[in-house]
Order: sequence, then structure tokens, then C-alpha cells
Amino acid sequence: MSPACSPAIEAAGVVKAFGPVTALDRVDLTVGPGTLTALLGPNGAGKTTLVRIIATLSRPDAGRVRVLGYDVAAQAAQVRARIGLTGQYAGLDEELRGRDNLVLIGRLAGLRRRHAYQRAAELAGTFGLADAIDRTVRTYSGGMRRRLDLAASLMARPALLVLDEPTTGLDPGSRQQLWAALSGLRAEGTTMLLTTQYLEEADRFADMVHVLDRGRILASGTAAQLKARAGSGVAEIRLYEAAAAPAAARALAERLSLPPGAIRTEAGTGRLTLAAPDGTATLLAAAAALAAAGITVDDLGLRQPSLDEAFLALTGAAA
Amino acid sequence: MTAAVPGRLARDSRLIAGRQLRVLRMNPGRLIYPLVQPLVLLVLFVSVLGNLAVTRQPGDGSYREFLIPGVLVMNAALTAPASGLALLRDAGNGLADRFRSLPMSRAAVLTGRLGPDAVIFAVQAVLLLGEAALLGFRVRAGLPGLAAIVAVAVAFGLAVAVTSTWLALLINDAETAERVLYFPAIAIAFVSSAFAPVSDLAGWMQPIARANPVSAAAGLIRSLSSGGPAARPLLQLACWVTGLIIVPGMLAVRRWQAPS
Repeated sequence: MSPACSPAIEAAGVVKAFGPVTALDRVDLTVGPGTLTALLGPNGAGKTTLVRIIATLSRPDAGRVRVLGYDVAAQAAQVRARIGLTGQYAGLDEELRGRDNLVLIGRLAGLRRRHAYQRAAELAGTFGLADAIDRTVRTYSGGMRRRLDLAASLMARPALLVLDEPTTGLDPGSRQQLWAALSGLRAEGTTMLLTTQYLEEADRFADMVHVLDRGRILASGTAAQLKARAGSGVAEIRLYEAAAAPAAARALAERLSLPPGAIRTEAGTGRLTLAAPDGTATLLAAAAALAAAGITVDDLGLRQPSLDEAFLALTGAAA
Repeated sequence: MTAAVPGRLARDSRLIAGRQLRVLRMNPGRLIYPLVQPLVLLVLFVSVLGNLAVTRQPGDGSYREFLIPGVLVMNAALTAPASGLALLRDAGNGLADRFRSLPMSRAAVLTGRLGPDAVIFAVQAVLLLGEAALLGFRVRAGLPGLAAIVAVAVAFGLAVAVTSTWLALLINDAETAERVLYFPAIAIAFVSSAFAPVSDLAGWMQPIARANPVSAAAGLIRSLSSGGPAARPLLQLACWVTGLIIVPGMLAVRRWQAPS
């Protein structure tokens, strides 16, 4: 088996349970070399569990995972020598200076002393940390810490970089900076797998998106493919009378020939939402349907689907 | 993979040791507890208890001469849990995952602490011996005797440190471990010959005290300071130190690297 031409990550039938909770339920995942792949899902979807298995920090109960051609259980050392991990919590020693952290991690990853210092200086420059590199990490802002953590993961030039929610908890400016850094890495050809809760991030940056929920991959594809399946938007309708909601839902389902689960009503508020695959055309058809049924509409509009609604559309399941 | 392992362990241990020493250099306040508190405790013990009794120990020295080696060993026992607690703090944050995802020697995270810990135990013993000299403590064997006493304190301290590291990883909660680990350290110091000859202890304590590594360490230091047979406490301490470093040490390494 030649690691060079195999996929960066190949997971088949991965199962992981923590006591009674099934974190991963027969997950299959393939990540091609040189791609940026996003695992998209809400809290508790199993993203972190999957990332930890790929990074050799956790063992699957069943199934097989190969990273860069090496089995994560039987050949963990080979995997570790080739990956970089940026976990959900910064893997840094707060009490040391930025430079000490980079050099320590680089040397533990196998770099020689001189090379580690060179690489640390180089990465500090790349990630805009040159001025802060001789300060204790304790004094860093959240965004700086993230960037230093990312730099630490890159010390030994890993063939695969795994990032667990790299942008969670960052302000918009820091998030932009981090994304600029990741885009630069992608341009250099680094394979990346990252988890995110933000649909918009996966949409803008990932080559491939896998939607994970309750331990299962619900959908996989490019962002464009997933969006096509999720519909272009959501029609939101507020009725004049809250009590008219059930009648409105019936009228919409009938006239637009929608399955019963496609329309969501919020109990007691007179608000309805439905997928609008045809954009404004769906909206106009809905307005006409309600007018024909004699139901007065207070407000209606079109908006982008939320993550929840994307899931709903992708799975066809009622939330 | 086979030939590289010992080299890697030595190299990575040095790197981790370097990290520990650098953290100490940047936070010298951390040394107050292991280095200053023992000096205060020694003065307190000697001032309160020092003139209390004349022991029936062979060598018929003063109680002060009997007490000081006990206080020395007690201080090493009280300092040792800090090592396990520090490792547990590392285990609880992202740095542990970082270390586990690196192609480094898994044992180095623990073995790398032994060097800096040994330095702390040694400096502590040297300071205590200096203070003890001011309090009138004399070591018959002279400079080699003093060096041997420091070595006893270091060996005993490391054994307790490694054991506390394993216990800390078993407890796996920094706050609980902080409360739990100091109690056995105090208990083993009291149920021993540190402060009174074994024959003066309550009956049920005597078998425990005779087997206690604290008794062995204190007994060995007394042989070095005031003469007397050293072979028995030396053998007993050597067994304890070897056993406590190897068994809990291996269990701690296994616990640290166990994938969840």
C-alpha cells in the first residue's frame, strides 16, 4: 500500500459510544489529498469525537480509520508523525513565551534545535505574531492564541492538518484573520479537515462539506450541492391571527403540494416557515395560496436557511 | 521504531525537563512553598518539640538530633504531591492533547518531570541542612555524609512524587486531588519513626511504622548524622524507592497514554 496516492483520510463504519451515548454511528468519511474538508454540525453531533479518533487521541469501538495510508490504531506513531492538530482548547503552555511553545512543540515533533527556532520565527511572521512571540502566552488575546496554536500545529509541516472548531469564540476580525491564514495554507496544498458550527464558513471555504448530526453523516458534497438540496432560502410568514396557523398550514400544503412535514408552525405565534426552493416564486405562490384561503397575512419574507433548517431540508425529517 | 525509543525517551525527557525549569524560572514564586515553608516548619518543630524529651534511641543524642532527620523527610513527603498535581493540571487542558498527538515518547511527559523535581528536593534538603546546622545539628560523616543525606531526601522525594502522580491521574480531578493527596503525605509522616521511636508509638501503629519508607529514610539519615547501623534502613529504603518508582511509574505512564 503506497501512502502517497491514498486518500488523506479514509474512515469506514466508525462507531464510538461513551456509556449509553452513541457519539458516532457507522460513520464513513473520505478526505482527498489537498482539499479543505468541513465537518458541519451542531454541538454534540460527534464532530470532536471523530476528529479525536483521526488524531489518534481516541480509539473507535468499531470500524477502520486510515490517515495518510496508516491505521490510526495499529500505526498511531506513523500517523502522529504526519499530522498537526489544533484542538478545541489551545494546546499551549500559558506560562511560557510564544517562542518557547513553538520550539518545544517543534522539537517534540522531531525538529532539530536550530531548525525549530528558524521555523518558529518564520511562522510567527506568517501569522502576524512577530511582535508578540517573546511575550508569555497568558498575555495573548483569544485570536492570537488561536493563531499561535495553529502555528504550533504547523511546526513540523504536517501533511494533514486537523482543526476542531478553530473559529469558535473568536470575534469577527480574528475569525477573518484565521480564515486568511487557512486559505494561505490551502493555496500551499496542505490537506485540512476542520469542524465548524457555521454553515456560512463551510460554504465560503470548504471544498467538501460533510453534515454530521447525532453521530451520523447526513449529507456530503460541495457547498453548492448541499445548498441546492437545502433550497435557496426559507419563506417566513406571520399571520394576522395566531389561531389561523393550522388552517394556513393546511392551505399551503394543499396548494403548493408540499409534504406535511415541510411546513413548520410555531405554536401560539402565528408564524410559519417553509423551504423556498424557488425563492421569490415560492413566496408569491404561498401568498396567493393564503389569499385564496381567506387568511390575512401580517408579514412575509425570504431569508437564508439556518443550520437547523438546512438539516431539516437535507434529511427531510421533522425537527 | 525499536532502536529509536530509548533515544527518543531521553531526548523528549530533556525537552520536558527544560520546559519545567523554564516555567519555574518565569514563576519563581512557585518555589516559595517547596523551599521556604520547610524552613519555617523546621524552626517550628525544633522550637516547640526540640527540648521535649531525651530519647531512648541508641546513640543517646538529644531529641533535636532525632527530630531533625524526621522533619527533613516529612518535608520531602509534603513537597512531592505538587508534582502529580502539576501533571494533572496539564492533563486537563489542551496541552495534553497536543502532547498525545505528537510523535513524542509517551513516557517523557512523566520522566521529564523527574529531573526538575530532583533539583527541588535537593535544594530543599540543602537549605534545611544549612538551617539545621544553625540549630546545632551536626553530621558525623562530614561532607560525604551531607551529600548522602541530600541523596536520601531526593530518592525518597522522587518515589513519593511518582506515586502521587499515579494517584493524581487516578483521581483525575485537580480540585479533588489537591485535597486528597496531602492527607496520605501527612499520615505516612506521622505513622513512622519521623517524630518518635517506633517503640513509643501506639501498638497498632508499630508494624506500619516499621515498614514505612519514611521510617527507613529518617533512620538512614540518623545513621549518617549520628552514626549507627545504616545497612537495614538503606536496604529498606532502596526497595521502597525502586518499587515506588517502577510500579506506580509504569501505571502512571499507562494511565497518561490510554486513549479514551
